Amino acid sequence: MSRTVFGTSEETARPARLDRDRGLVEAARRDPACFDALYRKYLAQVYSYAFYELRDHHAAEDATERVFMQAMTGLPRFEERADSFVGAGSGGDVSADASTFRVWLFRIARNVVANERRRDRRRPVAPLEDAQGLAAADDVVEAVAAREAGGAAWQAVARLPEDRRRAVVLRFVDEMSTAEIAEVLGRSEGAVRVLLHRALRSVAADLRGRLS
Amino acid sequence: MLGGGPRDARRTERYLDGLMEAEERGVADVPMDVDIDSAVVLAARQLRADLIRVHPSFRFEEGLAARLARTAGRMSAGLSAIEPAEQLVVRTAPAPIAPFRASGVAAWAELAPAELAPAELAAADDGIATPAAGLRKLPAFATRTPRPLIVGGVGVASAAISIGAVYVAWRWSRAAHTPMVRAVRAARSGRGDASGHGRRAGVLHGILGVTS
Repeated sequence: MSRTVFGTSEETARPARLDRDRGLVEAARRDPACFDALYRKYLAQVYSYAFYELRDHHAAEDATERVFMQAMTGLPRFEERADSFVGAGSGGDVSADASTFRVWLFRIARNVVANERRRDRRRPVAPLEDAQGLAAADDVVEAVAAREAGGAAWQAVARLPEDRRRAVVLRFVDEMSTAEIAEVLGRSEGAVRVLLHRALRSVAADLRGRLS
Repeated sequence: MLGGGPRDARRTERYLDGLMEAEERGVADVPMDVDIDSAVVLAARQLRADLIRVHPSFRFEEGLAARLARTAGRMSAGLSAIEPAEQLVVRTAPAPIAPFRASGVAAWAELAPAELAPAELAAADDGIATPAAGLRKLPAFATRTPRPLIVGGVGVASAAISIGAVYVAWRWSRAAHTPMVRAVRAARSGRGDASGHGRRAGVLHGILGVTS
């Protein structure tokens, strides 16, 4: 990882708005072994997204593996697509924290998870623990509920419609900005704002109902 | 879609941004609009506290890292990114296939290279684990067999059908040695001793299955 990625001539040739991961991405494009840095950086985020969406440890692992394999093999095509993420829907402003690679990665994750869910709907499989009447150790709802009363919050999120839940997970778990979520979900920023606002009101009503 | 209060949604977004920033800076004071819905604020705080980021197991992380590294090596070498583990090595056995009299582990022991450990052979006896067992010994395979054949599922099916055909043919040849057939052949060979024509006719009749 100590190799110099950008030479002076390259820096001048690059557009002014740089992805915060651009250095790592360029290194990985030159030497695929350098993809490891991107993998380590985003593993937990991608895994968390898959985990909260699929609610199954093994399914989340499978999805995570597919996401990173697709990302690594598709990285040569990333450069052309990156520009479409930069500034799209955000009036051209990209904050210093914005990462078009992360958006690209999560779009892959969204597709992989969607395929996984579609496959599950076609061939529903119940975990063995369900058959035995036991709570799965890695079940998100059960694990969080067992930890503390905060399980109520996650259960409220789990009851949200799919698009609202996805926006909430990307916002609170993966700490994405509204612009990034909009890019990942393929919605406008305004739509994502409203999704999040409505999701929070639903969660609040759910929590209030539980307390009363 | 925006009928649910875009102005409220913007207030919520500002609050969420402030919440994230306050956490990053390690301060408890979060700026908020005076008109913001207090229920939304409570729900946001609850979700921020409860929706934790999950990390996959160390074993999974390192396993996937190793797989990505192997894929990176293949990509650097200009090879296909598909991992060879998804393919299967079938050895074109120079020995005759006749020893299928033996079954199970013994049969595999006769056909498999000597490097395969008994445990792997036992796994092979279960029916499916043979390719993985073989792949663990891939270098030994390559040195012992001059032309290892790497095929996918179609090749395996073809090999299985061929082996089945040989087995059926062998069974048919054995079935012909019943006492009755032996007696008929002996009688016919006795009649055919008189002339060469009769012997040839007997052979022909034997092949065609004519016993009259």
